[in-house]
Amino acid sequence: MTNRIAELRKAHGLSQAELADAVDVTRQTIISLEGGRYNASLLLAHRIARYFGLTIEEVFLFEEETV
Amino acid sequence: MKKLLLSALAALAGLALFVFVILSGEEVPRSVNGLCSGLGGALLGIGGAGLLMPLLMRSMSPEDRKEIERGETDERNIYIRSMAAQDSWYWTLVLLWVPFVAALIQGELLWMILAPALIVLHCAFYMFHMYRWSKKL
Repeated sequence: MTNRIAELRKAHGLSQAELADAVDVTRQTIISLEGGRYNASLLLAHRIARYFGLTIEEVFLFEEETV
Repeated sequence: MKKLLLSALAALAGLALFVFVILSGEEVPRSVNGLCSGLGGALLGIGGAGLLMPLLMRSMSPEDRKEIERGETDERNIYIRSMAAQDSWYWTLVLLWVPFVAALIQGELLWMILAPALIVLHCAFYMFHMYRWSKKL
């Protein structure tokens, strides 16, 4: 799963700390999410999407894994 | 405030036990001395940490303090803690076989019994918590 968090954050002129503050997580969590090392829970995905005024699907890009 | 008071009481009790050990010298059995030292150290550690943490937090900037407070409930931190606990469970389980095999080679009956008992307990705790969490979730 990839996401557009870094792109949206920069477009809104936010720092990682400000976004972390807004969605009530640590800055390290935002760094990990942007780096694709950690996948957000449904609750956090919802909070992030709602913060940017988008749907979860518009922020988080689900890719079917091909076997 | 209540937490600070409890921490201070624990630290004082720990100090009192240490003073008792130092003053009693050889007058009390070694087992009592050992028990008092161990308990004193634990109480001093728990109480001391309880007293030092608020002081440490007070010396931080409001942003750093907020970050630390948030870190307690941060979902990534919770995930890290549960993954670390899971991995350490497997490591301990594997490592428990070392004293067992060593005891078999050395012919140490106590460790031959103790090591597998610990392995069984370790797995039993895992099963118990699996059951507990399956009921919770």
